[in-house]
Amino acid sequence: MNQELELKLQAWVDGELSEAEARRMQNLIATDPAADALAAELRDVKALLSGAEMARTVPEGREFYWSKIERQIQAERSVASAPAPNWLAGWRRLLMPLAGLAAAACVVLVTVKQSVPSPNFDVVASTDASMETMMYHDQSAGLTVVWLQDKNAGNGAEAVTADDNSPMTD
Amino acid sequence: MSAPDDQSERSDVELVQASQKGDLQSFEILVARHRDKIYARAYSMMRNEDEALDLSQDAWIKGWQRLAQFQGDSSFVTWMTRIVINLCLDQIRKHKRQRLDSIDALDETAGGVERLLPAVEINPTEGMERTELRRRIDGALAKLSEEHRTALVLHEFEELEYKEIARRMNCSIGTVMSRLFYARRRMAGLLAGLKRESAE
Repeated sequence: MNQELELKLQAWVDGELSEAEARRMQNLIATDPAADALAAELRDVKALLSGAEMARTVPEGREFYWSKIERQIQAERSVASAPAPNWLAGWRRLLMPLAGLAAAACVVLVTVKQSVPSPNFDVVASTDASMETMMYHDQSAGLTVVWLQDKNAGNGAEAVTADDNSPMTD
Repeated sequence: MSAPDDQSERSDVELVQASQKGDLQSFEILVARHRDKIYARAYSMMRNEDEALDLSQDAWIKGWQRLAQFQGDSSFVTWMTRIVINLCLDQIRKHKRQRLDSIDALDETAGGVERLLPAVEINPTEGMERTELRRRIDGALAKLSEEHRTALVLHEFEELEYKEIARRMNCSIGTVMSRLFYARRRMAGLLAGLKRESAE
């Protein structure tokens, strides 16, 4: 008999099979002496154990046994009945970390502002009325191109370039 | 049902209702009345006096915490028994995690040595007192592994079906069937020895 059949036989003893399967098991028992013997053994053990749980007495006195239970219950009761924190304390607890965060952000902001160098440009000025200027500024590249042209000089043009972080020359 | 040290004549239902309103004294009477049964079930599963004692006390604490959930669908002691069984199952899972040796698992997959033994005829009740028989059965149960004993206790003492045992033990129905089969065959072997002993 294979294990699957043995387990089915046990399920039959325990009344866990469908009617059709139960009939198959009954046929098996009728024809197979080994199956019949196994079913009888399983039934005997089941009958022996039924209601045979050993009665036992707690090995401690009533007061002592109860004291541990009571202590735990009272401890939980006292935690549950502890006064709830007032709303101000609650808000303070909530706002304290936020205030700290805000202060830290201020410090970082000031430090960053001081460390970023401000653009340093030389002043370009011309009093000559014949001078013509054109200026191109590339924001993304931080580059400024100033085109100076002497209208009287023809092709005497001069380009001056400067990036935003370096002094401009004329 | 009443324990000898329980002088109260109030029913379980009355005591539970009072306990649900926060009356600890009523709850203490319930504990005194049923503590032996709850302890006995814990002992049947754990086979260790200290663990059974601790788990039974933990069950009463949990019972108090969950009293509001008790609707009276079953008797109070049945409800408490369920709580202690669940605590024992948790403890058995902890034991299993702690065990390095997996002989039990091996037995389970292979069907155990008992699977291969011929079926035996057992009738140890002949010439044996009921109390003595219970004691012998108890001794045989102690020789089973935790998993196999638990399956047997849940099936025979708690009268649960395979499906419910599988749910409680967090395993498949096939595993429950295999554990029960192994446990019964082992029990048969142990109790057959008793018959031979009494015949000599």
